[in-house]
Amino acid sequence: MKPNIGTLAILGVATVTAVVIGVMSGVVINAHQGALTGQLARSADQLSETIASSTYYDMLENRRDAVHREILTIGRQQGIEKVRLFNASGRIMFSSDEREIGHALDKNAEACYACHAAGRPLERLEMPARSRIYRAPDGHRVLGMIRPIHNEPSCWQADCHAHGRDEAVLGVLDVDLSMTDVDRQLTHDRTRLALLAVLAIAASSLLLWWLSRRLILRPVASLMASTRRVAHGDLSTAIPDTAWLEIGDLARAFNDMTRRLGEAQRQLAQSDKLASVGRLAAGVAHEINNPLTGVLTYASFLQKRAGDDPQTRADLDVIVRETKRCRDIVRGLLDFARQTPPRLEPTDLDEVVRRAAGIVMNQLTLAHVRLDIDLATGLEPVPAEANQIQQVVVNLLLNAADAVAGKDDGAGGVIRVRTAAVAVPPRGSATIRSAACPKGCTLLDPSVRIAGAPAIRMLRRWGEHESTVYLDPVYGRFNHQAAEPCDEGVIATYLCPACRSKLEVPEHRCELCQAPMYGVQVTGLGRAEWCSRKGCQGCRWDAMDALGEQRCAAIVVEDDGRGMTAEELGRIFEPFFTTKGTRGTGLGLAVSWGIVEGHGGAITVESEPGKGTRFTVRLPYRATPAPEPAVARAPMPDARGIATSGPTGTRDARPAPGGGAGGSR
Amino acid sequence: MNGRIDVLVVDDEPVVRDAVSRVLEAAGFSVATAPDAETALAVPVSDTCRMVLCDLMLPGESGLTLLRELRARRPDVPIVMITGYATPANAEAVREAGATAFLPKPFDEDELLTLVRHALAQTDVAGEEPRP
Repeated sequence: MKPNIGTLAILGVATVTAVVIGVMSGVVINAHQGALTGQLARSADQLSETIASSTYYDMLENRRDAVHREILTIGRQQGIEKVRLFNASGRIMFSSDEREIGHALDKNAEACYACHAAGRPLERLEMPARSRIYRAPDGHRVLGMIRPIHNEPSCWQADCHAHGRDEAVLGVLDVDLSMTDVDRQLTHDRTRLALLAVLAIAASSLLLWWLSRRLILRPVASLMASTRRVAHGDLSTAIPDTAWLEIGDLARAFNDMTRRLGEAQRQLAQSDKLASVGRLAAGVAHEINNPLTGVLTYASFLQKRAGDDPQTRADLDVIVRETKRCRDIVRGLLDFARQTPPRLEPTDLDEVVRRAAGIVMNQLTLAHVRLDIDLATGLEPVPAEANQIQQVVVNLLLNAADAVAGKDDGAGGVIRVRTAAVAVPPRGSATIRSAACPKGCTLLDPSVRIAGAPAIRMLRRWGEHESTVYLDPVYGRFNHQAAEPCDEGVIATYLCPACRSKLEVPEHRCELCQAPMYGVQVTGLGRAEWCSRKGCQGCRWDAMDALGEQRCAAIVVEDDGRGMTAEELGRIFEPFFTTKGTRGTGLGLAVSWGIVEGHGGAITVESEPGKGTRFTVRLPYRATPAPEPAVARAPMPDARGIATSGPTGTRDARPAPGGGAGGSR
Repeated sequence: MNGRIDVLVVDDEPVVRDAVSRVLEAAGFSVATAPDAETALAVPVSDTCRMVLCDLMLPGESGLTLLRELRARRPDVPIVMITGYATPANAEAVREAGATAFLPKPFDEDELLTLVRHALAQTDVAGEEPRP
């Protein structure tokens, strides 16, 4: 098995612990041993002093039996190995072990060597030098303490005249004490310390094992797994953000990195898709329009000369119609690839609607669709580019015609188009077109759109959960989308997904439920805020609320067609999304959304399956701060690598059907 | 008809030249064609035709160059530019270079005839080389 960081750490710590405890034990045991031995030596010294004192007069008076008795009595005491009295020549005169009496001791024996071999006289030795430790034949240790008996006047003046005047040392008293108790005590201490060392090593290893598992191995394993998933291209990977310390930071940095990578990839894919569409459109337009010219010209030529055969006429009608459809698809692609910021001029919306209706009238009549036009006479001109808005109205009318024609009963339906001046409150209409966290990270995510507009991306944290949530960018509308559902009533914390700073607004509480508020900075327009309680519709955007109702010109296109499901409604402004199968390019509403957005207006849709659909285009009379140019409106390189841009759509460069020289605008 | 050519069609696509000629001839116009700008400028017809239909993207010299050259030679002749890649920028460019009109491809018979008749009618009103 590969050694892991935990095992290595445990081994290291165990070794260090063992060495430290070993050295400490050595020092402690040594000190203890010294203390115990010293104590024993002092006892031996005191004992020998006592013996010397108590036998003093017996010696003087040469009462050898009494001396012998005393030595025997003392020698039998517990813990006393033996008590001996040597004469100056090393012969044992008295001993508690009677067998030894009369033996002469070899000065070179282990017990004597220490003093005698050093060549020193036995006079005036300090206590440590007088003591010795040796092993008895049965192996236990013995502490011996000798005490030289010095000559005194009373000794050589005594009646026995046993000692001469010139002898310095008359003999040696040797007291031997058993060290069994001391050794038992020391062994007990050593065992206890060793046990403690083992316990300390085991405890520290266990703690390390748990810590390394909890703090290093598991997070690293999850990091490794995520890294592998990222390496395989799964950029939605996120590591659960539960680890502490640096590993936690690493996990967060990793999550941040994959998120940014994913975002960059999404944006790249999106802009790549759009750039591809631009190139494709240019290439298709250039290559396919020549053959289409042949087909359409010949077909329309033959159509006029088909004579009376109805079948031939019908067949040719199909060719002409379908070729024109090809033309429209190519044109839709070009329009989409080439959306440009509008040139705003006071525009009469009624006139725009009339012109748009004129363009589609033939098609509606053919499809047996009735168009009711209800124009607000005297509508104040609104800042707009007429041609672009006309394109929007044409798109909406053609969509409505398709929706009506797609009804199951087959009966022709009704489209109503009307214009009106309206005043809309900010709530439910004002769109957040820039959003930043307190540190300036942008929160708008063009890759996720709610009803066409880029959503505001945040992290929502509650309890153990943390996941991405996309806020509806329309102020006062709450079509938020969340990666993970959160229970109603839960108060969550909202974070910037880039720098993780809290988006909380401490100075405000929700006006509805008093819960804390969170918010985003909107360029030039202060801060937009929401209630952090799930399900509460509290919100405030002081700059917008202060502006009050906004005057707008509205165009409403309603049909009684087949309607749309909620799922379809959520996606209809996406490029290439179509409900019409092969009959649509999926670009009309995407283009329309981009145009209206470019005007600072809003396009909204309400629909019910089977009942019909209502599109409302609102254009503001007062210009709001210009939105950031969306990716979709960036100029696209054409087939020759030249960026194309221009103020109007293709339609305007064409001659009006049925007459007039086109070309001049 | 006195042998004089009404419309000179310049397009590198044979199918476009053929289709346009067919429609115009069936409507009673006389048509000459050229596949590129160099040929168009070399043929005498370019000095006498009553109008020119010219593709914007031609091999070699572009349609825009041809347009400028013709406009320099004949200030009043109607020149209609046709193109498969109709962008507002292109429309603007040909208008500034002196084109009479701009016709995006593909077009049907009616659109083509309407434009040609309108252009020729303007020529007649302008009095340049009236039709006999």
